[in-house]
Amino acid sequence: MKSIMSITTSALCALSIAGAASAQEILILAEDVPAGLNYDGPTAAIPSSQQGMVTLLEPLVGYADGEVSDGVTLPDFNTFEGRLAESWEFDEASLTWTFKLREGVTGCGGATFNADDVIYTFQRAKSVSGAAPIGWFLSNVASIHGFGPEVFGDDASAKELGDSIVKIDDYTVQIKQGEPNALLLPVLTIFGLLIFDKETMEANATDSDPWSHDYVNNTNAPGFGAYCLESWAKNEQITYSSFEGYYRGAPDATRVSVRRVPQSSNRLVVLRSGQADLVTGLTPREFNSIAEVDGVTVAGITGNENLFIHMNFDVAPFDNVNLRKAISHAIPYDQIIATGYFGQATKWEGHVPSTYPGFTASAGFSYDPEIAKTLLAEAGYPDGAGLEVFADAFALSYVAEKESTLGPIVNVIQTALRDVGIPATLNPIPQTQYGDRQLVKRDLPFAVNDQEKPIGVDAGYAVQLFFVSPEKGGLNNMVNYRNDELDTMWSGARVEPDNATRDATLAKIQDMLAADVVWLPVVEYRTQWAFSDKITGLKWYPDNSIRYSDLQIDE
Amino acid sequence: MLLRYITRRTLIGFVQLFCLVIAVFFLIRLLPADPVSRLVGLNSSPEAYEQAARQLGLHRSLFDQLGIYLGLNPEIAQGLLQGSLGTSWATGSSVGSEITTFLPVTLQLITLAFILAFVISIPVGMLGALNPGKAADKGIFVYSLFAGSQPEFWWGLLFVYVFYFQLGWAPAPLGQLSPMTFPPEPVTGFMLIDTLIAGEPAKFFEALHHLMMPVITLAFILSGPIIKMVRQNMVRALQSDFVLYANLIGLPGKRVARYALRAAMGPSMTLIGILYGFMLSGAVLVESVFSLGGIGQYAIRSVLAFDYPAIQGVVLVITAISLIVYLALDLIHAAIDPRIAY
Repeated sequence: MKSIMSITTSALCALSIAGAASAQEILILAEDVPAGLNYDGPTAAIPSSQQGMVTLLEPLVGYADGEVSDGVTLPDFNTFEGRLAESWEFDEASLTWTFKLREGVTGCGGATFNADDVIYTFQRAKSVSGAAPIGWFLSNVASIHGFGPEVFGDDASAKELGDSIVKIDDYTVQIKQGEPNALLLPVLTIFGLLIFDKETMEANATDSDPWSHDYVNNTNAPGFGAYCLESWAKNEQITYSSFEGYYRGAPDATRVSVRRVPQSSNRLVVLRSGQADLVTGLTPREFNSIAEVDGVTVAGITGNENLFIHMNFDVAPFDNVNLRKAISHAIPYDQIIATGYFGQATKWEGHVPSTYPGFTASAGFSYDPEIAKTLLAEAGYPDGAGLEVFADAFALSYVAEKESTLGPIVNVIQTALRDVGIPATLNPIPQTQYGDRQLVKRDLPFAVNDQEKPIGVDAGYAVQLFFVSPEKGGLNNMVNYRNDELDTMWSGARVEPDNATRDATLAKIQDMLAADVVWLPVVEYRTQWAFSDKITGLKWYPDNSIRYSDLQIDE
Repeated sequence: MLLRYITRRTLIGFVQLFCLVIAVFFLIRLLPADPVSRLVGLNSSPEAYEQAARQLGLHRSLFDQLGIYLGLNPEIAQGLLQGSLGTSWATGSSVGSEITTFLPVTLQLITLAFILAFVISIPVGMLGALNPGKAADKGIFVYSLFAGSQPEFWWGLLFVYVFYFQLGWAPAPLGQLSPMTFPPEPVTGFMLIDTLIAGEPAKFFEALHHLMMPVITLAFILSGPIIKMVRQNMVRALQSDFVLYANLIGLPGKRVARYALRAAMGPSMTLIGILYGFMLSGAVLVESVFSLGGIGQYAIRSVLAFDYPAIQGVVLVITAISLIVYLALDLIHAAIDPRIAY
């Protein structure tokens, strides 16, 4: 009997070990695998889908490497480097950028990269034929000529590129802006304008789908990236194999398999067992629990992830600035950092990620319950008297799916607010409902938000995204903040060609945001990964996706 | 007679499905969020919003949308009458193909779990019933109460920790096959069958190995109520007149027990049928713990994403399977119980 057990156990162990990745193959465990690979498609807003896009497709430009922090290389946001574009020139008089494209670049399908691929990519973006036209959106944000709202009308000519983006020769493309705007190069680094392989895309087009959305949603995203798609089962696994002809050099990891493992505790256990090489999406508690485990490295950086409290200006009593200030002094920032993030966060001192060019540390809110009570009295609610009629407004909403991370934090906030007399309650709601109320209806009165990361790395973009009035060009002013002076200043900064003057204006804007407590910035938390000791070379990008081609694998 | 009964039940099933389709179509539109917001994300300008709504067909009237879903306007899009469940708003894939991928995973899991639970529960339940009040019966009672009252995800996580992480007997909870193994070309969608069709016994055993823990977890939970049901029905059957008569005339104990078991099986089969229907979506926690992309996970994802076509498709398919299972049970019931005639 004993021998039978022994044989059985050995066989089972052998089967278990059979699953381990070999030296140059890596296994990554994630919350999900791409649900689509189309940045103009229905899954563009999902981080796991963005991860798939940046693995297969390449941008025209990128950021140079900057400093290394905790073993992770950060980008130098002040220095752009060529990717598929080799070099570029800007003519201020005509607002025209001339990009010299890299020669000799090929893709997985065998196509050779040239200007036609760039023209195709922008033409596809301007067709606004996908479910979520992100390519158009980014082009519009960068003021590329002709990428205005008119493309959504019935006039087919409005969807043509015209003279806004022109092929000069096979390896030269010109992009014309409609007005001065510093965001052109930053948006070209973003996943929503990665370059498609025109040849393969057109080969998979149909009469009913001339821009191959179905193909990219469900089959492949053909481009000129470091990896080729080997297999893809949505909701289960995606496997990439390295492209030996990648123009920046063949990646070290020859095969990357990303497996969907919904339970974060299982991702952790499998990493600890040595069968997985890298895991993402653990809770701060879980990252903390394996920080000292032999053979496992936990690395993280303060990038652009943060948590703030959202108070809607259109909902009483949040239109009362003294009440907003009272709340800013009632929040125990250090306790949130300690209990919610296990020390892997810092107090957020502004309204823009502190790593972004143009950030100003203007929001120096401190935890002081006595000051909070004084301000509450000045707001007309001494000890919270009178606030009971706003019970619905004080329901603190947060994304229910993030309960394991946000649960401890919202409980700390609720307790602290009640301590000064503010009758906060908790209101977990599904992600989609949260998004609907935040982005479309804009009627969330009071909420905790940890998912706003301006992917355009620029303080001006962040201001436009969140704080400018919608009628003046604001994109997602979720708290309905309206300030004519700020709108005017931003309009000036948007087209200001002198960077020093632009930064000074943006600094004043950030001071105004802090004075009005437009958001209540709480913490910037570290973006973290846990991986096997054999992996090095991790770099951080503003979209928080890993570039597998960066990874070095020790034998 | 039997054919007429099956035909009648099938027709009633279609009417039930049609009513369900209509009810679900309107009920999910009462969900408290607008699915368009998920698409537009930060790009929520009125133009982009309108574009996304048009893509989803939400710019049409509710009855137009219903007509398209039913397949009354095939020139706009294929619908139920054309055998199409629509296109997922969350992934852009066909709902039918997604369900074809996810459903076999769950069917395979719960069918094996039920077979295992059944094989364990019948002798254990009989043992308890044949020894009422004795130590074995008390032990079985405690086990059935214990197994049936524990959350399956907790047992799942515990089993992963003990049998995978500590003992190394079970494979990593990473789905149906090791991530580094190429799955066979899907033919039926059932991994065990497809590996055999592909003539790859090594992958068959690997799939079986990966199913071991989730099946044991689910069978452990399911065996609780089934044992209890078998035991109670056996006790009742053993006290019935025909068993007392059989004992009096001196029939062998084994034969009497067989008679009693046959009488006890009717209600037990009903319970198993109900549990099977429930488990089609109720196995979601075990699927999640063991990273098995089953229909339960698909349903949850669809609800959280307010993916109307996917929700409608899942409800329709699960209901259809439940109706088929209930029909099959009625037929089995008739075969077991000679008093039932159609």
